[in-house]
Order: sequence, then structure tokens, then C-alpha cells
Amino acid sequence: MKITSETKLFLGIIGATLVIVIAALFAFSKPAAPARSYARDELIPVGTTVTGSASASAYLVEFSDYQCPACKAWEPTVTEIISAYGDRMQFAYRHFPLDQHQVADTAARAAEAAGLQGKFWEMHSLLFGNQERMSDTIFAELAAQLSLDNDRFQNDMNSAAVREKIGRDRGDGIKFGVDSTPSFYLNGRKLELKEFDDLKKAVSQAVK
Amino acid sequence: MTDSNRTIAPDDRMVNRIIFVLSLLGLIMAIYVLQSFLRSSSIICLTGSGCEVVRKSAAAWPFGIPVPAVGAVGYTFLSVLALLRTIRDDRRLIMGILGMAAFGVVFVTWFTYTEIFVIRGICSWCVLSAVNMFVIFALTMMTVKKHRLLGFR
Repeated sequence: MKITSETKLFLGIIGATLVIVIAALFAFSKPAAPARSYARDELIPVGTTVTGSASASAYLVEFSDYQCPACKAWEPTVTEIISAYGDRMQFAYRHFPLDQHQVADTAARAAEAAGLQGKFWEMHSLLFGNQERMSDTIFAELAAQLSLDNDRFQNDMNSAAVREKIGRDRGDGIKFGVDSTPSFYLNGRKLELKEFDDLKKAVSQAVK
Repeated sequence: MTDSNRTIAPDDRMVNRIIFVLSLLGLIMAIYVLQSFLRSSSIICLTGSGCEVVRKSAAAWPFGIPVPAVGAVGYTFLSVLALLRTIRDDRRLIMGILGMAAFGVVFVTWFTYTEIFVIRGICSWCVLSAVNMFVIFALTMMTVKKHRLLGFR
């Protein structure tokens, strides 16, 4: 084996690269500052759609987008948690429609409009269930499936109050550091989750 | 033509140097994104929340393997093969680089498709890595063609 000057040059580059990578890993491995905690009434302001026990000390808040595949993937886990711990925890759903999703904002307004007729969670399930074929034309069809008053549904969807609520949710999400959907806050602190089970474990600890 | 008993030809050196440096840059990017995947930490992202969206998607963990780990392994192979070419200009080394880069191109194309149509989020690091891999592949093809390997005339 012949070590050429070219080989020495390459080994030098590798050495310099290793120094940079190790320095960067060292810098990144510093423990992150603990996540800031937000007050319950900040995370769940009046008018937020909630389910579960309002008197429970534990509360979970989700910021989500009906057109986001990851949000749909997390939905069964959230549903499972609500059915398992709904009596010991309050769950709040807040809207965070992402700009790159063309009908996410409309979908959020559809859920709120259905909520005004007492069928938020039914519409919530239908929206995730029909995510693949979501378009501007689907909402009237979903409203009909839930036997909603369509005129009222359409008016509410386009009302200033509903638009303001979605805007408030989104604004709050940005304020609380939502950088992707879904984002979960358990008892005021943002969760960093890798797997579905991480959320179940966190909630089961919180409700003890 | 290449010869297993001699070092890399002077006119191939510059291309090999570029492949080597691009492979190391790809490796650094992959390690940066991989540590974020494994530590669930935030990523500096040129495409807004795209990197976070991708990181949190199950589609970015095929068979439980984080996508940047595949990139790290691929770029490591490319770096080592380019390094070995400085010691011995063996035809098998450039063909190894070509094979690895071809796999890389297929992989980044698949993942870019997945980002756009499944995850619906774009991670800037993945885009940079995809462009990087295409450049490495193109440079390797130039060398292969120049030496009339793979039946090129």
C-alpha cells in the first residue's frame, strides 16, 4: 500500500472534518434548557374545544392540522388516551393550520362550525377520516353526513368569530413555540415525542 | 484506462477530490440531522417547520431506521472509497462509488417523493443532500464514461 501525497491531503481533510464534527457534537450535547411551562388558562382559553374532566388537574393540549398526515397518524393514539384517561384528564384541541396545506384552514373552520351545532368531535373524526380526499368541496358533504343545518354550517364557517378563533389558536401556537404539527402540551409543558407510546407514557404518569 | 497497480491519474484527481469533499459534507449534514432525530431536538431549517414535520413523520423512519442514518452510512462508504482511490486506482473502487451513488440517487429520489406526497413537508437538509448525491453521481458517471467503463464508447 502506497501512501501518496494525495492520500495525505485526504487524511488531513478527514482530520479537520473530525475536529469540526466533534466540536459541533460537543456544542449540541449541552443539555437543553427545560421547556417553559404555560398556565392552563393560557393554553386552554375560554371557548377552546375540550373533552374529558374539566376538574382534573392533568390537562393535555394538542395543536393540530386536519390536512397534516402526521396529525392523522397520531389521532388513534389521542383517541385511545381520551378514552382511557378522560375521567382523570382534560383534553383540548387547538387549531394550527399550516400554510402549505391549502384547505387546512377551511377544515378547521368546518370543525368549529360543526361544533356550533354540537358536533365538533364528530366532524373532527370525519375530517381526519377523509384527509386523503380533502378539498373545498368535501365540507358540505361531511356536514350532510352529520345532518347539520347546511345554511347555518356555511354561515358559521365563514363567520368572523370562527375565523378569529382559528387565528387566535394559531397565534397562541406560535407564541407557545409550536414548530410542527401535531404539538402536545401536557400540564403546561411542551412534549418532545418520538413514538406514539411516548405520549401514552407521559399521560399515564401525569394522571397518577 | 485504470490500473490496479498505480495511483490515481493526475487528471482524475480533481474529480475525486470533489467527490471526497462532497461526501464528507453529506456525512456532516447526515450526522447533524441524525442527532436531531435521535435526541428529538429541533433542527435549524431553511424551509420553516419542514424539517420538524419530516422528523416527526413515521415515513422518515423506514423499518425503524432514521433516514439520515442511511445517508450517514452511504456518505461514509463514498468517502472511504474516494480515499482508497488515492492509494490504488483500482477499477473496482470507481465502480463501487458508482454503485453507492446510484443507490443514493434512487434513495434520495424516493425520499423526496415521500416528503412531497406523503409527509407533505420539505426538509432543507434532505434537499441539499439529494442535490449533493446527484452531483456525486454525475461526477462519477463522467469518470466512468471517460475511462470507457460500463461499455461506454
